[in-house]
Amino acid sequence: MARYAMVTDLRKCVGCQACTVACNSEWAVPTGFARTHVHPTGVAGTFPHLVSSFYIAQCNHCDHPACIEPCPTGATYQSADGIVHIDRDLCIGCGYCVEACPYDARYINPVIKKADKCDFCWPRVQKGLEPACVLTCTAHAKFFGDLEDQNSDVFKMVYEQGARRLETSEVSIGPNVYYLGKKEDVDLVFASFPPHRPRLLRAGEVWRRYLRPLVLGAIGATFLGQAIAFFHQLRVGEDEFEE
Amino acid sequence: MRDKFTRREFFRRSTVAGTLATVSPSAGSAKPHPPGWRGDTRVATIATNCEMCFWRCGVLAEVANGKVLKLEGNPDHPLTHGRLCARGNAGPKLLYDPDRLKYPMLRVGERGQGRFKRISWDEALDFLAERLAELKQKYGPESVAIFPHGVAPAFFLTLMRAYGTHNMAEPAFAQCRGPREVGYALTFGQGLGSPEPVDLEETKLMVLIGTHIGENIFTSQITAFAEGLSRGAKLIVVDPRFSTAAAKADWWLPIRPGTDIALLLAWMHVLIGEDLYDKEYISKYAQGFTELAAHLKEFTPEWAEAITELPAAKIRATARAMAAAKPAVALHPGRHTTWYGNDTQRARAMAIVTALLGSWGRKGGIFLPTEIKTGKFALPAFPQPKRERADGAGTRYPLASEEQGVTNGLVDATVTGQPYPIKAWIVYGQNVLESIPQRPRTLEAISKLDLMVVVDVLPMEQIYYADLVLPEATYLERFDMPQIAQSAKQPYIAIRQPSIKPLYESKPGWWIAQQMAHRMGLEAYFPWKTPEEYLETLVRPLGVNMDVLLTKGAVAFPGRPYISDRLPEDGPLFPTQSGKIELYSPLLKQLGFDPLPRYTPIEEPPVGYFRLIYGRAPVHSFARSQNNAWLDALMDENVAWINEDAARDLRLSEGQKVILENQDGVRSLPIRVSITKGIRRDCLYMVHGFGHESRRLRLAYHRGASDTGLMTRVKVDPIMGGTGLRVNFVKVVTV
Ligand code: SF4
Ligand code: SF4
Ligand code: SF4
Repeated sequence: MARYAMVTDLRKCVGCQACTVACNSEWAVPTGFARTHVHPTGVAGTFPHLVSSFYIAQCNHCDHPACIEPCPTGATYQSADGIVHIDRDLCIGCGYCVEACPYDARYINPVIKKADKCDFCWPRVQKGLEPACVLTCTAHAKFFGDLEDQNSDVFKMVYEQGARRLETSEVSIGPNVYYLGKKEDVDLVFASFPPHRPRLLRAGEVWRRYLRPLVLGAIGATFLGQAIAFFHQLRVGEDEFEE
Repeated sequence: MRDKFTRREFFRRSTVAGTLATVSPSAGSAKPHPPGWRGDTRVATIATNCEMCFWRCGVLAEVANGKVLKLEGNPDHPLTHGRLCARGNAGPKLLYDPDRLKYPMLRVGERGQGRFKRISWDEALDFLAERLAELKQKYGPESVAIFPHGVAPAFFLTLMRAYGTHNMAEPAFAQCRGPREVGYALTFGQGLGSPEPVDLEETKLMVLIGTHIGENIFTSQITAFAEGLSRGAKLIVVDPRFSTAAAKADWWLPIRPGTDIALLLAWMHVLIGEDLYDKEYISKYAQGFTELAAHLKEFTPEWAEAITELPAAKIRATARAMAAAKPAVALHPGRHTTWYGNDTQRARAMAIVTALLGSWGRKGGIFLPTEIKTGKFALPAFPQPKRERADGAGTRYPLASEEQGVTNGLVDATVTGQPYPIKAWIVYGQNVLESIPQRPRTLEAISKLDLMVVVDVLPMEQIYYADLVLPEATYLERFDMPQIAQSAKQPYIAIRQPSIKPLYESKPGWWIAQQMAHRMGLEAYFPWKTPEEYLETLVRPLGVNMDVLLTKGAVAFPGRPYISDRLPEDGPLFPTQSGKIELYSPLLKQLGFDPLPRYTPIEEPPVGYFRLIYGRAPVHSFARSQNNAWLDALMDENVAWINEDAARDLRLSEGQKVILENQDGVRSLPIRVSITKGIRRDCLYMVHGFGHESRRLRLAYHRGASDTGLMTRVKVDPIMGGTGLRVNFVKVVTV
């Protein structure tokens, strides 16, 4: 089975944001949102020995995704090749996954009112195309491929050239997006954009453990309006419940 | 949301939920159909090229039901291989910009008010033809001046030549590449052209002097730059600012602005003094070496250290690094090179270093163009204008390009009425208020005009002063003259063709020119009916199959980029007067200029002022793209980079809004401060193109501040008329 990963070569990346716009265009992402972001680190060091680089943020398709557990409907799931998908038929836009993701990789698409994020351009990949960001990357800095395939670029970059992934002692959920570059650049990027602890909403937990079976049954029995009201209640209440 | 929840779906959902597992068996069960994804839409693919800037990267426009859904890079494009930058990807937002010029408009209020009435194309073209006939009769055809930019106005320029004027000038020369083209042509007999033939991917060492590759984006140049670096090329960046490129550099030289020539002379001093130059190449191809060597004696790295504020040791080390990598040294000639008014001489100095390293025409250096011989129409000869050019090209500015002209020369002529009055401006795809410095002078010139016409896609500030506004179709809706890219390693011909029909009442440039020709009795200059027919004639001698060209978008030919590849048909290697590389320039001497580059100090900022420097951001093109919704979302204003020590002294805080006031008391719109270690404390940097004044640009209006607005002074290069722009000083006013 494949294990998909993405590597950005920070020696090459110039922070041009072609990737961001290509992705926006590919996925009709509403203006002001993005599935992949480019964040400049700003300048560090002491003059004239300065450092600066770019953090290319996107869903990491983590080995142990923090976004799946809190999803009350099962819309977020992971396929065996590691890609974390959102089934938009199931997504109710509650936003728990958005809160939970330590990398802020998700957003609620305001047009369809459902969660959205990078899926490694899975529909393109299925058709034999490269992900939109990889194809357009002006610096040819982004690489996508299969970590199980010893001949892939990503295999070489990860296992031979020492590409690193953004993890901390606090947050270690096995991201599959890697960064290759000069040590000081990668260090600066990682220090500048640490993942936050997964935020599991207490409401979400309550929901998942006790109420979900009940409510889903109820929905099956046509208590649709009540269910929607319930979801709404959860969403409105989420701030109070945040740990 | 509610109406989508049918009962049936809910039953299905509950079953899925009932068997929830964190890992589902296979990806095949994924149903990823977000809105806007065109996986299920049948799309036609049109091969064309981009005009979000002027690099013209290959585009595949995906079109369904008359709508452009996405622009994807064209993988078959010989230069850009499927890559588009952020701007290129954002093309649909220009096409569908609700603020676009939609129909011809005639001014009704005073100039500057921006009040117009909508008219038909017939009315508009009749009006223009009548006015042009009148002007010709009263003041002669040379009284009409054109300010074009880019490829779109090409057909209109033919029209105006046929009408009888040669007064045309685009900012690409006197505000941009002019000094470089002239400086290199003086040395090697030819300029560089665009795309720049710099062999970044094959090089061992790149040298960027003020060139901010990475912030200035041309996709294939970025690809080659990054490829070169990842193959192990070293990088020297000379820039007062810690640019994106500087962050990748092995040597960053934060030079004192305006002293580049001193650094270049010291580099030459080391190369010759330490016997590190390419002797064989120089003795075979160059003349004037003895004069150069004698000239350089006193220009030691220590001498340069005092001027440039760069340690002599570093100057030596970088010169030696170049020597070690020669001839595979890509000393980038730059693109926007009108800085201090001594710019042709700086370009000369860069060309001479290139020559000493033997890099011109060598792998990893600067490669050579290969001619593509296209077909031609037998047009009647253009009428010979009776009067000299008004912009001074060839006279006041002896080496200015007569093809590209001197914009500021035309402004001067319009203001002074010398050598004769200019009575009309046709501004075509250029934004004269943003591209030409000294805006008050440009406005003064406009106030003297009998007629001002703007042909454009967006309602830039200049339409407020126009009598007639013509809405042009965007690059996604029109045919243009094809690109004949001779300066690519593999030269190619690439086309622009419409992806969809022009929206609103906008019209393509070829149509406007053709229609005007009919009204002006100049049809003979347009002996073709459709642009396809035009294209066919052009490519016929090349043996290019039209179908292939139309479906692939581009066709490449074998190139002969290095000296070792050249054939007799390529002509002389160095088409200078002497047929050799002219290290010493007899032509400059003859014209009364320094035959060898010399450092002369430039004016320093007064106490309390910064030198205003400017550049580009990867997500914007000049002042053209700020109203693009996707690009605006990424960068909706520019900021003022200020050194952290200077900011501390001024008690500025990060993100604070300030006003910049220049040496002449001209003030900017409010702009945020960005405090950084990444700039010398004598400069203030901002990205060009913001602070739009046109209220019709609803996203861009008054966002950020305009650097051009602060450029009330220029230093004109006497050799070619370029306007040195980095001679303005600003102080920070807190609000
Ligand atoms: S497109 Fe490539 S070079 Fe540009 S920001 Fe994205 S990863 Fe970096
Ligand atoms: S990055 Fe966030 S959204 Fe993506 S798999 Fe990991 S936790 Fe989930
Ligand atoms: S560099 Fe970008 S804006 Fe310029 S032509 Fe290429 S894709 Fe278009």
